[in-house]
This record gives sequence, structure tokens and C-alpha cells, in this order.
Amino acid sequence: MAKVQPAIISCGFCEHASKRSDVNMAELVNEAVEDCLKKAGSIEWKDIDCVINGNMPAFEGANMPELWMTDHMAAKNKPLLRVTTGGTTGGSVCIAGYYAVASGLYDTVLAVAFEQQSCGNTTVGLSSVALGEISIFPALGYDYDRLKRNLGAGAAIGIASYQAMNYMRRSKATEEDLARVVVQNRRNAAKNWWTHLKMPTITIDDVLDTPYISYPLRFGMVCPASDGACAMLFTTEEKAKQIADIPVYVNGVASYSNETAIVGIDCAGAGQVDPCEQLGAVKSAEIAYGQAGISFPNKEIDYAEVYSPFPNQELMWVERVGLFEENKAPEAYRNGVSAFNGELPINCSGGVNSTNAIGASAMERPAEAALQIMGKAGNQVPKTVHTALGHGWGGAINFITHVVMSDEPQRKWR
Amino acid sequence: MPLPDYEKKSYKRTRTMHGNWYLASYRYKFNLSRTKVFLKGLAKGHILGLKCRSCNTVSFPPRLICGRCLVKPDQWVRLPETASVSTFSANYDADDKNRERPYPIVAVQQDGTDTVWVHNLTDKFDFHDVYVGMPLKAVWAEERKGIWMDIDHYEPIEDPAIELNKKEEEM
Amino acid sequence: MDKVGIVGYYQVKPGLDIMMSPYEMIFEAVRGALDYADLKRKDLTTVISATNDYYDGKTISNCFKVEAGGAYMKDESKVEMDGAHAAMYGLFRILSGNHKLAMIYGISTPSCYQYESVRVLENDPTFDRPINLLNSYTSGGMQMRAYMKAFGISEEDIAKVAVYNLKNAAKNPLALPEAKKADITIDEVLKSDILSTPLRELMYPMKCDGATAMILAPERQALKITDNPVWIIGVGNVNETYYLGDRDLSVSLSMEMAAGKAYEMAGIKDPKSEIDVAEVFGHTACEDLIIAEAAGLTDKGKGISMVDRGNLNPSGGTMAGYTPCANGLTRIVEAAKQLRNEAEGHQINGAKMAIATGQVGFCAQNNVIYVLERGGN
Repeated sequence: MAKVQPAIISCGFCEHASKRSDVNMAELVNEAVEDCLKKAGSIEWKDIDCVINGNMPAFEGANMPELWMTDHMAAKNKPLLRVTTGGTTGGSVCIAGYYAVASGLYDTVLAVAFEQQSCGNTTVGLSSVALGEISIFPALGYDYDRLKRNLGAGAAIGIASYQAMNYMRRSKATEEDLARVVVQNRRNAAKNWWTHLKMPTITIDDVLDTPYISYPLRFGMVCPASDGACAMLFTTEEKAKQIADIPVYVNGVASYSNETAIVGIDCAGAGQVDPCEQLGAVKSAEIAYGQAGISFPNKEIDYAEVYSPFPNQELMWVERVGLFEENKAPEAYRNGVSAFNGELPINCSGGVNSTNAIGASAMERPAEAALQIMGKAGNQVPKTVHTALGHGWGGAINFITHVVMSDEPQRKWR
Repeated sequence: MPLPDYEKKSYKRTRTMHGNWYLASYRYKFNLSRTKVFLKGLAKGHILGLKCRSCNTVSFPPRLICGRCLVKPDQWVRLPETASVSTFSANYDADDKNRERPYPIVAVQQDGTDTVWVHNLTDKFDFHDVYVGMPLKAVWAEERKGIWMDIDHYEPIEDPAIELNKKEEEM
Repeated sequence: MDKVGIVGYYQVKPGLDIMMSPYEMIFEAVRGALDYADLKRKDLTTVISATNDYYDGKTISNCFKVEAGGAYMKDESKVEMDGAHAAMYGLFRILSGNHKLAMIYGISTPSCYQYESVRVLENDPTFDRPINLLNSYTSGGMQMRAYMKAFGISEEDIAKVAVYNLKNAAKNPLALPEAKKADITIDEVLKSDILSTPLRELMYPMKCDGATAMILAPERQALKITDNPVWIIGVGNVNETYYLGDRDLSVSLSMEMAAGKAYEMAGIKDPKSEIDVAEVFGHTACEDLIIAEAAGLTDKGKGISMVDRGNLNPSGGTMAGYTPCANGLTRIVEAAKQLRNEAEGHQINGAKMAIATGQVGFCAQNNVIYVLERGGN
């Protein structure tokens, strides 16, 4: 149990769009940082003790951009740490922010995650993930055409469609169920100020009318590529009580890694036989709930933000993190349990499915969840939120970040 | 059919500078000590898996390091030619040539192993008939050269469990 | 700050072009550190890696390193900076009380990429990169010129530091074999090729493939594992502004501020007399001096006196072979070796207190410093 209880006092966003051509990366980050500090009451630039940042490298063609963005994220003459873990970068930065405060070394910590995908070529960036692993294949007699066919399709959507196949077989979910998730997300996004794909009038038929990209995923189900940034401000329990009306206490964090899926290291087989099983997520959830003292996540959690660029993943993750029983999520979505005014609202910010600035996405999840507890979210749910969850996944579906937060600090007797 | 248009906002354009990331100038190093044994086995018509003595997991193709135990596995085992579909997908290319009949891409789990690799099904197979858990059999290339493509493709074999699964689904 | 113990470490023997895959090197380092401390993989609770996607030529470079790094089903994260920064994140995790044993490793294989050209990607893409003048050679040259001008130091003095480091490297069994130069003279250094005036080839480290791993544990845990731990009693990290024009290159402001914090934490009042060994990460021979001065080991401009005292970089420092992403971690490990009396061939007798530093950025923009104390007798 952490010796110092970290709390979130403020979260900031910049406007997300497919091409933020009016700003460069540093200015984009600055928008989010400004927004975060504006909402943080008496906290100013100089009160920040440490800055943690991260984005998905290799997308913008800038190595360690925080070095030249120092002044834009209030990091001049302050400790600065860069944490990057692919898709979970945002979540990892958030967790690093938690640890920086929990360690007792720093009091007020700013965590920033960002991505300006319009700067570079995301497809090239993503296909370079396994480049080192794949480049040897032709030399060992793997037919080039087949390689292109089998692994060129890999990237994020390839893995997602493998996952979708397994999930649909397990849970008997239909394509209509997947489309329903998309509709829920995009309609929610229309009510949130910073999101990218705002579609207030979208219907299930609209989604099902679009062509397949990779079976069973259709064009209309896939997340966009956005430019955006997100910032969070962490501080200690004592300070948070003075500054914020409703401080959000981070009570459990975990990021347990699994083996890679589909391609293994040095042209070996991959250890994740069933990409839908997600042992890492199950274990992360177990540990984080354990830290937070949550025994029945499906009853105790009031609001959840899960990282789901593709709709099948949203259904899968809410089961794996213990919010629904296995294979019961599609039914719950049909019954409106997860809707804006449902019993357990999920992804009311619009989710990753509507806005995906990759490096920032995994941080926007805990940030939005925190805002729902504070009652300051762009699309605030009608019910009162006491305990919320922010989740992220990345890598070759082997990284997970899991952040559990509440409006009450951890019980001291534990 | 296009999706309804989302609410777009236009932003002013600023100056842009161009930069490059030359991936072509990189080298990647591999340790093929395990893979070479495996490929030699293929040339002889043997399908070899590598077993970790500590946790008894078998990898195919062989892996250098067992992540569960953090040791280098070193016990070779012969594997049967049968396998099963661990998961699959169908890829739609950007060019419309394949739109009509997309090709199935399957992750194959060789029987007796704990890992998967991506391989091809028979070309004449429609992906709608593929399902997770479908039993397969390796088909050897006409001439074995000790390369990966010695296993040319996999073809489906009769599934004794299919009737059972259907009944389960109906229930 | 509570004490955190260094209980195990391992360095893969560096080489200009090692015939090992990166995964194998990580495996060797991590396995070696665990074996050294007599621990098992299941004892680990968290793994922090230091790698760089641009240096590895692929994005999410830690994605496939999970198995080799022993991170399967462990709390895992990556710091995309120097190994010393990764150690700082490991320190956060241990100090928070959530974790009991942290593995930290750093790896890079410069034989697989053009280090200097990839480093250009660290430049500001809207100004410095199009102009194409700032790189690790020119920044080193400018820094050296600024230092020489400010304190009236001659090229011979800097060459003396290079000679001192290379001679120390010759005594270090884990130095790059090509960097071990026991008979080198100041003349040779001054006659070597110019990289960017006044910086010469032999004042600039040789890049080499390598990997380093280190295990951290909280005080109580560390004492169970070993009776000879090395305590981290102070840490400081400061990042200064990026543009070289805004900085005084002859000194290192960030290191001064970081060292101030670290010494305050460790309760050190007079670093000049209290610090027995210093392992500093300077990108050039000249930067070694700047950082040692900023860390308060000597007065400003008097860094050259460290060479005569002989307690600066007894392992040869960065000049003994520079592995990006792992070098800072190697410095910590070398300092820990001195305190544990385990440095073969380059041991400084009776060392009780040491510092180790790490950095990223041109002219050491972001510095991190550790104060280490001997735990055993």
C-alpha cells in the first residue's frame, strides 16, 4: 500500500481533430496543460514539482520531443521523466505520476500524454512494431507474398479482428452488437467538447452499411486517427483537500504484461494462443482492485472507461476487468445497462472508438473517469459516481494499464 | 455507403517542415541457433517443437527464451502433423481485386504446443467456413528445402466434434 | 527519503558488434543479475526497461522484450531515456511501498543503427533540424569551446582527461576492448581526427553494444537478500531549457540543481571531502569535467584536479565504451561495485560514499544524480 496517498485534482484536454494544422506538437501539449492548470484552482506553473510525459514514439518522427518542448509543459528546471509503452503510454504516464507522488519524493506532479498523428504516418509507425521480428522471415524461406498477406495485415486492426473472431465465438455476439457499441460511443462523443468523431444521428444500420476492412470489422467500426493531448495533475491527500472541491484518490494501479500475440520474438511462435483470454488484464484488475480494497467490482464500480478502438474490445474488456460476467456484456449493452443513464455507464466520453490520439488515449480514460467523480466531465452522467475505473491496452495486446480511483482515500486500516 | 458526416471544425494552417525516419538504414540481429535446427527438421519431414524443461511448455516455431521461467529451453520434441485454428481473420485489401473473395488468415496451433503462428489455409477455402478450433493437417511442399515454406499450407480435416458443437449451439 | 538498496547487477561484456540478438543480451543481463543476487524470477514484482524506439528501429520497442526481460505477468513499464532515469522510476515504485523487488535494465545496440544520425531526430523539428547544424559532434565541440574559454583551459588539459579515462578503461575488465588504451599519450589524442573543432575523435566515446541490469529492493528486503547492500540515499533530477543559446554551456545548471537536491536528501554538506568515488556520465571528455564540477566535487574550472586525485571515473567512464540507454545504469553499477569492493583491477580502497550520474539531451540537458552509500562493513 502506498505510503503517501496520491490524488488527482485536475485533468485537462485540448480539442481533438484529425488534423490540428493550426498548432505544432508543443502548442498542442500546451493547450492541454493550460486547460489542466486553469481548472486546478490555486496551483500555478511554479508549484509543479515534477513532470512526467510520454507519447507513442516513431509516429511524429521526433525522438524525445519533451526535450525541446520543455518550456511548453512547465518542465524548465524541474525533474522530467519520459515513459512510453506504446498504446498504453497514457496509462503508463498516469501510473508514473501516481508513483512519483506515492514515493514521497514529489508533492505535485504533472502528467502529460500527447500525440499529433497528422505529423507522421501512423501506418508506417505501426508496421514498424514487428519489423525487427518479420524482416528475417524472407531469409528463412517465408514466401514474400504470403508474408505480406499474413503479417502485413497484422498491425492493430489485424490483431483486433483475431480478437473479434474469438470473442464472437465465445459470447455469440453478432455484428449488430458490435455496431451498437459504436453508436453508443459516437453519440456520447457528440456531447463531449473535446472529442473527434461527433455523430449525434448515427444508427446501427449506418454502421452495418459500411464495407469490411478486416472481417468481422467494418469501416464504420474503426477508431479515427486524431491529434490531441491530455494532462493530469497529481498531488498528495493533504494538499488535494485544500485545493479541490472533490479530490479523486487513486487507490489502485497495475500494469501487468503478457507475452505477445500473433508474432513471437526472433521468429518464434507467440505465447498468447487465445488473444481474447487476456491474462494480463485479469491479473492487473485483480491486483488493482486488491490495492483499492474492492471485492465486487461489478457492484462497487460506478463508472468505467475502457480502451476500445474497436467495438468488440469494449465488450471483451468490460468482462475481463470484472464489470460483467463472462460473455454477458452484449446482453447488458442490449439492455442499456452501459448507456449514459444506465446502471453502469461505460465510455460516456465517447471512448477511443470516437477519438484516438494514440499516446494520449490511455490517459484520457482515467482522466475522464476522474472528471466523472469530480462532476466536471463534458458528458456528465446523471448518477453520482463514487468509484471509477480507467483502463488501457497496448503493444501486441500484451500491455495493460489499470487505474482505480474513488472519492474516498484508501482505508487506512488495511 | 458512407457514414453520416461528423461535425468537422476547420483549423488554420501553419508552416510545416519535412523530416524523415530512414528505417532502411537499420540492421536487425537475430539468434537463429534454434530456428536452424527446426528448419533442418523440416527438411527431413519432422515437425519439431522446443520444450522448456522447467514449465513443460512447447513452442513451435521454437523460441529462444521461455518467458515464464526465464531460461533457455533446450529439449526438442517431435510433433504430430495435426493442428487446429486458434483464431482467424479475413483481410480485405485496399484494391478491389480481393473484395469479392477475401482470403482467410489463420493463427495455427500445432497439436501438442502452447504457441501459435500465422499460416495459410488451402487456397480454395472460403473463410466463412472457418471456425475457431477447426482441426487442420499440415501439407508438405512438393520439394523440401529446409525452409519455412516446407509446410506449404494447412488443410482442414474431418472434425468429430462439429456435431457436438452444433448441438451445443442449438441448446 | 527511505533507503533503497542495490542488491544485484550484471553487465553484458560490451563489444563494437556483438554477435547476439538484443533479446539474448537482455536475457543474459537479467538472468545474470538474478543469479548474482541469488534470486528467482518469481521474486520480482516490477520490471522497468530503458530502451529507445528510434535506436531500436521499431516503435513500442519494449513490446517484444517482455519475455527476455523477465516481465511476463509482472508490473512492467519503460522509460525512454537513459538507464539512470529508468532507475529513478524503479526508485519511485520501491519507495511507494507497492513493490518489493524491481529489475531495471537498459540496452542498446549501436552496431545496428547510425547513432549520430538518429540523434538528429532529438532536435527541434521546426528549427534545428532543417538547419541541420546541431548534432552530437557539434554540440560537444561548442560545449568544449565554451568551457575552455570560460576557465582558460587548454586542449592539452582536455586531452589529459581523455588519456586518464582511456588508461582507467584498460584496468576495467568490462570496458570495451577497443577502448582499452594503456599506453596512450596526450599527443596521440591531440593528433586524432577532428570531429568538430576543438573536439577530437579520442575525446569522444566509442559506441558499443551492451546491456546492464540492476535490482533494487527496499531496506528491509535488501538486508534479507545480502549483507553487503549499496544504499541509494539521495537522488536528484533536473531538466533545463533546450536551446543551447539559452544556456551557459561551460557549466551544467541542471546538474547543479539536481546535485543540490540529492545532497540535501542524503545529508551531505561538503561533497568535496565526503564523496570518495564519482562515476559521471559525460558525453565527451570535457563534459565529464563540467558534470563533476557541477556536482560539487571541485570548484568551477578546477575539474582537471580530479584527474590527479584519481577518484573520478575509475572504470574509465563513458570513454570505456558508450552504450546509449544503458550508460547511466552502468555508471550506477560501477559506483556500486566500488562500494562493495568488487571492482576488479580498478578498485579504490575504502570507498564509502559515491555518486553516479546519467543524462539525456544535447550538452547534458536532463541530468540525474544518485548518492550511494556502502551498506556492509
